[in-house]
Amino acid sequence: MKRVALALLLALALSVGVCAADYYPEYTGPPVEITMWAWTSNENYSIEEFQKVYPNITVIWEDFGVHYEKAQTALAAGSGLPDVLMVEYSFAPEYMDLGAFQPINKWLDEETFVKLYGEQALGWCSMDGEIYGTPQDSGAIALFYRQDLFDQYGLEVPTTWEEFAEQARKFKAAAPHLEFNAPPLGYALWWVGLVWQSGGKMFDYHDGNWYIDFTNPIAEKVFEFWGELIDEGTINVTMWWNADWYNSLNMGTTATVLNGCWFAEWLRYNAPDSEGMWRVIAPPNFDPSNPHNGMLGGSGFYVTAHSKNPEAAAIFVNWLNSHPDSLRCLNQYSNLPIMVSTRYEEVVHELAVDDSFFGGQNIVEELWHAHNLINTTFVGLPIWSNLDNALSLLLQDYVDGKIERFADILPMWEEQVIGFMEEFGYFNVIVGELPD
Amino acid sequence: MTWISKARLKATLKAYLFLAPFLVVFIGLVVYPIGLGVRLSLYGQRGARMWYVGLDNYKRIFADSMFWQSFKIPLFLLLVQVPVMLFLATMIAFLYETRKGGGPVYRFIYYLPYTIPGIVSGIVWSYIFSDSMSPLHPLLSLFGLENVKLLTRANVPGILLVIILWQFTGYTAFLVYSSLIAIPKEYSEAAQIDGAGLWQIAFRIKLPLLKGPLITLFIFNAIGAMQVFNEPWMLGNLVVLPLNYTPAMYIYNSAFSQGRFTYATAMGVILAVITCAFSWYILRSAGRQILGRRD
Repeated sequence: MKRVALALLLALALSVGVCAADYYPEYTGPPVEITMWAWTSNENYSIEEFQKVYPNITVIWEDFGVHYEKAQTALAAGSGLPDVLMVEYSFAPEYMDLGAFQPINKWLDEETFVKLYGEQALGWCSMDGEIYGTPQDSGAIALFYRQDLFDQYGLEVPTTWEEFAEQARKFKAAAPHLEFNAPPLGYALWWVGLVWQSGGKMFDYHDGNWYIDFTNPIAEKVFEFWGELIDEGTINVTMWWNADWYNSLNMGTTATVLNGCWFAEWLRYNAPDSEGMWRVIAPPNFDPSNPHNGMLGGSGFYVTAHSKNPEAAAIFVNWLNSHPDSLRCLNQYSNLPIMVSTRYEEVVHELAVDDSFFGGQNIVEELWHAHNLINTTFVGLPIWSNLDNALSLLLQDYVDGKIERFADILPMWEEQVIGFMEEFGYFNVIVGELPD
Repeated sequence: MTWISKARLKATLKAYLFLAPFLVVFIGLVVYPIGLGVRLSLYGQRGARMWYVGLDNYKRIFADSMFWQSFKIPLFLLLVQVPVMLFLATMIAFLYETRKGGGPVYRFIYYLPYTIPGIVSGIVWSYIFSDSMSPLHPLLSLFGLENVKLLTRANVPGILLVIILWQFTGYTAFLVYSSLIAIPKEYSEAAQIDGAGLWQIAFRIKLPLLKGPLITLFIFNAIGAMQVFNEPWMLGNLVVLPLNYTPAMYIYNSAFSQGRFTYATAMGVILAVITCAFSWYILRSAGRQILGRRD
């Protein structure tokens, strides 16, 4: 019996070994040095592990405060991009479309990519069948809530949006000076993410055409839902990522935040006084029997068109974002929700521990659950900064009283976005429908 | 060469030798980039692809209402902030003069804000006007104003005014003061003997003599107003400002967040031309008055 088990184990180990070899091809070129621009912290631990396996590839990691500015400049100049560039999924289509990346299918074919990162990730890392990079962290949406405020005001953790609205109204009545939830004034990722979270999308790319349809039933439902709560004054939109907002999270004047799961780490460092108060759960759904999730943020690592060693760069980005040794390092030192890789499953149980910042909750498991609810994908529009700014201005107009009904913002936003596509020379745009 | 004397050639060479450090930097970092910018502005660009378009960028800019609307804030600063600041700075300089040795302690204190980088003071000021942490709220509540939202989009020009005045008035006063002490004492002594009071001397005798330096300061500050960037950029973290809030912000955003580098370059060239033309006009008309020239 023992021998059989051993043999089985051996076979398993061998098969894993064979698989692993398939995932990570041998590097055949001469010794090279490749550069990488990334803003995440402590990528060096993974790099060290990588260099042990691939001694002929040296990775130089650089981090600038002006990441995108430098990348845009190098891209326009036609030279100067590093071999590997970190880009948020929302901006990636723009870079792909501009020719900033080069395909790496030769070293990472679509079948292997899907095995390692899942079907959906193709939407964030490839276009027209060309794979340009690999996904690192997940932006799966989660509901972060203050247990202390929930206890104090007798609130229940919502699992449907209906319950969410109920709790919001109850809270507003009991504590008018506090906020139940404060959606961002702007930050298009959030609004697009919530439509995605309900199983919908507002735009996509398919077979050489861009599709735009902001006023589809799911997007309208999401905007009507939030619009009702905002119009009646139950919740208020507020500007995120500034001193006032940090302060509200730290001091406990906001009871819930909907954000990408990387936000867990962000809270830990930026709201230290709220230690022990926060909990995390997968976001509410309109139909809990058919739950979805979407993403808000997250980034991939792409091989740029300027790279002279695409082979080394391709091997590196694949190893970095899927090999368990790297995932362990990224989890431990960079504190990233690196859950996109399917091989995360191999390490999740050793990484999932009770977290004192979240009152002892095992948040890794909860976030992993939230991530696994993502079952749709789409390609973002290649004019993201304009799309984002247009929404900010419309929401500010709403706050200033220039727009009466919140949900009216949606068609206005669509109109502006269509205008931007034209302005930036995209004439292959189909308005009013979306590919499946 | 026979038409130029050896001594003169030597003197010219010597002059250029002394000018060389400046010229090298000026040509390398100002003239050359402007030339390069003018060339770039004649190209269309998307990503790394570039193609010659002639004056198309300029034609588009003349039709781009976003660009021309962005001059609202510089115009406001030019018409309000610059005159107010020059007036305050001149008053402060006169006050310095009434102190022994020019009031070195006051001069030091008023000069301090200028030593703080604009981005840093922008962060601090954004705290001062923030909703949840503003130290002004307790003050306002003394006057019965509770929960006033200070940082709204409509208030931003006023807030810019406060920040820029705070930052540059002391520095400007310092410059005015240094021109003031260069005025020969004999003028004010003569006026004093004729029975003029302190403020009479200041306004009737000294102020006209300060005209030259004040015009120079006006031009410098007008150029600063045209290029204003740091302060609205920092306030943009607390309140939504359009991408084209000022010309410099529109140029920056066009280049770095929209990746339209050649278009941004063409706007930069236009901004430079406007600034130069404006300075030239002021200098010319002011020069006429100062020198009493009549053509």
